[in-house]
Amino acid sequence: MDTTTVPRTARPSPRALTLLAVGATALALTAAAATPLNPAPRQARADGQRTLTVAVSQSVDSLSPFLAQRLVSTTVHRLIYENLTNYDAKDNHAIPGLATKWEPSPDKLTWTYTIRENSTWSDGKQATAEDAAWTFNTMMTDEGAATANGSFVANFKKVTAPSPTKLVIELKKPQATMAALDVPILPRHEWEKVGDYARFNNDKKFPIVGNGPFILTDYKVDQYVKFKPNQKFWRGAPKFDELVLKYYKDGDAAVAALQKGEVSFASNLTPAQAASLAKAKNIKVNDAPGRRFYALATNPGARSKDGKKFGDGHPALLNPKVRQALFAATDRKTIIDKVFQGHAVEGQGYIPPRFSAYHWKPDADQRIAYDPARAAALLDEAGYKKNKAGKRVGKDGRPLDFRILCHATDPNDKAIGKYMQEWWGELGIGLKVDCLDNVSDPWLAGEYDLAFDGWSVNPDPDFVLSIHTCAALPSTPKDTGATDNFICDKKFDELYAQQTAEYDQAKRADLVKQMQSRLYDTGYMNVMAYPNAVEAYRTDQIRAITTMPESGGNLWGQDGYWSWWSAVPAEVDDTSGGSGSSTGLVIGIVTTVVLAAGLVVFVATRRRSTAEDRE
Amino acid sequence: MTVPSTAAQTASSLAWARRRGSVARFWRAYRTHRAGLFGLGALAVIALVALAAPLLVGSDVQSVTNAPGAALESPSGAFPLGTDQFGRSLLGLLIWGARISLTVGLMAAALSVAIGTLVGILAGHFGGWFSTVTMRITDWFLVMPTLVLAIVLATVMSRSVWTVILAIGVTSWPTTARLVRAQTLAVESRPYIERATALGGGHGHIMSRHVLPNVMPLVLAQTTLGISNAILTEATLAFLGLGDPDVVSWGGMLQDAREAGAVSSGHWWYLAPPGIAIAAVALAFTLCGRAVESVLNPKLGVSTR
Repeated sequence: MDTTTVPRTARPSPRALTLLAVGATALALTAAAATPLNPAPRQARADGQRTLTVAVSQSVDSLSPFLAQRLVSTTVHRLIYENLTNYDAKDNHAIPGLATKWEPSPDKLTWTYTIRENSTWSDGKQATAEDAAWTFNTMMTDEGAATANGSFVANFKKVTAPSPTKLVIELKKPQATMAALDVPILPRHEWEKVGDYARFNNDKKFPIVGNGPFILTDYKVDQYVKFKPNQKFWRGAPKFDELVLKYYKDGDAAVAALQKGEVSFASNLTPAQAASLAKAKNIKVNDAPGRRFYALATNPGARSKDGKKFGDGHPALLNPKVRQALFAATDRKTIIDKVFQGHAVEGQGYIPPRFSAYHWKPDADQRIAYDPARAAALLDEAGYKKNKAGKRVGKDGRPLDFRILCHATDPNDKAIGKYMQEWWGELGIGLKVDCLDNVSDPWLAGEYDLAFDGWSVNPDPDFVLSIHTCAALPSTPKDTGATDNFICDKKFDELYAQQTAEYDQAKRADLVKQMQSRLYDTGYMNVMAYPNAVEAYRTDQIRAITTMPESGGNLWGQDGYWSWWSAVPAEVDDTSGGSGSSTGLVIGIVTTVVLAAGLVVFVATRRRSTAEDRE
Repeated sequence: MTVPSTAAQTASSLAWARRRGSVARFWRAYRTHRAGLFGLGALAVIALVALAAPLLVGSDVQSVTNAPGAALESPSGAFPLGTDQFGRSLLGLLIWGARISLTVGLMAAALSVAIGTLVGILAGHFGGWFSTVTMRITDWFLVMPTLVLAIVLATVMSRSVWTVILAIGVTSWPTTARLVRAQTLAVESRPYIERATALGGGHGHIMSRHVLPNVMPLVLAQTTLGISNAILTEATLAFLGLGDPDVVSWGGMLQDAREAGAVSSGHWWYLAPPGIAIAAVALAFTLCGRAVESVLNPKLGVSTR
């Protein structure tokens, strides 16, 4: 099942055998993929339980909403807790969550939320304004609790709950994100007892007390996360009897499991997988505009709030011309065509076009188009001329040799790295692609020149913009800040403060666009592409499911619980033999014949060789 | 002045004649092993292809920007083994990959056997507490799962071909060390060693002039067998993404195939050729190694044919 860990099962002694197995595994996998060992979907179980199994690969960083930042973890939190507000599946506008109503005071500094009366925690207690007030107050007073979502409460002055259904938030300055606070509200009676919020991962006691559409019943690191539907959920209980996020660290294994019917859903498909699944019976491939951007980040010189510099970013990258030249020598169209094979949209501004209100495009004279000649000219201007060996060297004698941090788990990083090596190599720039399983350590330490970077963007852009402000820098070099890439730009910060305080939607959108323009010009975050969400599900297990946005949207990692909450199980039919069975059969027969022939030859030679010894 | 010189000449020419004779004898004995000849032939072909790779496919076969085909094309006249996800010819990559797989295999095996021989001879010659200590270290390496150790080494060091060679070399020497030590003990118990010592031969002289030549056959056979192991380990490390990402190797091709999703989408032509190539080369080296072993080691008895 877990094919990436083949060697971990290796016993020390029959080493040669284990090693041979690697070559054989690859072959065996092909056969396994094509051979439905288990043609009838296993999803229909004897007890009539209908389980929705979702293949995931990203590890959970923490089950505590105070700490969790990864997509898989925040997705889990959306399923088991409620935020004050939710986003509409159709067009992302704010709709009631735990709060039914919210309104600002005339001076824009006090927001009053009405908390619903029909939401109960899974242990039977009522969810009240008191819980919400406690959650926000904890984040405001405890630094550990502010790790993940601190940016939402940084501007809060006071949060009170005058009555169980009334929550009052007083602000220091107006804040535009008050209807988009992506903060899960926690049950106070369970969480008060926790001592250190910076260390508590919420993974000791199951089921976890929550009030979302699902209840988390079990979790094993990198194996599974299991949920039961919350029958008392105010919007209506989910229709499946169980939801399981099952770990497949290998994309091919996940797809094989989908083909066999072991899982109902798999995401992050490669173009080849999407193409082959599109032809498969009972499987629907969903190729939707993604909510991610995929960028080339350049290290602007890592520093902390106390002004200390750290890390070892290449000094040449502090020159804006060098950054521009690097981006001008990056052919985004080829990346879309060759690496993503059409499953992505060429990058423009910071926020993907899916969020049309905030999406920004550079105009013709601002845009850094693919133009190697211009890139060479820019580098010459910046003082990095080619030497006799064809390498560009600065006045200090240091050649333009960069390192790029790449996620070993993301094949796209590696593939684009290969292209960059060739494009930039022609310009005389060296590039070393550092593919690591854990990029966080060098990243947080500022020990990188360039990095492949990407974030999922929420309908409200505040958070993804906040990670590039000076306020997000770590307090000291030893701390971890919310910052993404150590960017600290005065003009960007000013615009950020303005947009946060702007309640007029159109004006705020305009400010957000100005911020993106500024970010584009600084060249620290160069968006190369907006990858599509390429995912597939079994139509013989899931009859209907809500995408977000409803027309042509994605399923995994939505800004809400719509997909899994809405999924309708298909009536079980066991007529599916799978179109792959004939090829599987052929491969099976061929393998058997080959093995049998090998055995015969082996036995024959053995007999001949021992002929003299036998009586 | 002239007399010793001619004497030396005759001595050396005698030595050469003896060596020629033993090589001829070796070859006559080797020739009787059909499997060994088969392996040797296969190796010759593969080595020739690897050496001629720049002429056969050109060095720009690795280039992604000048890739001639579309992504993951199935085998055709233009691309006999199809293309990879960048549109590069898989046949070209396979041929190019042979260079890395063979180089790493040979060098890692040589390194491993060199370490093993050194440790084995020293431990066997000096004996006593020195032998005990070195053999305990050897045992420690012997019981360590080689692959795990190699993965750790390849992870902490920078990604390059040399790292892989080193990782394989320093993890796979204990077997050789044990074999060589046993052989050294056997050789040193012979009377002529005692005579050499009596005539004033020092430790260095005994080890290099008397023990080493006598353990050489064993070492040679061990090297040949070690290469196939080294090639498989290299492929494993590359498959696990621990190889140098900038070079094409067979294990790396398998890893690329996996990343492109070739397994689940049924693009067998991406997976099968590197897998078969690894198996074929490992098999060829093993066949040669077994033949060499049975020729050089009389204890293994006369072969069946």
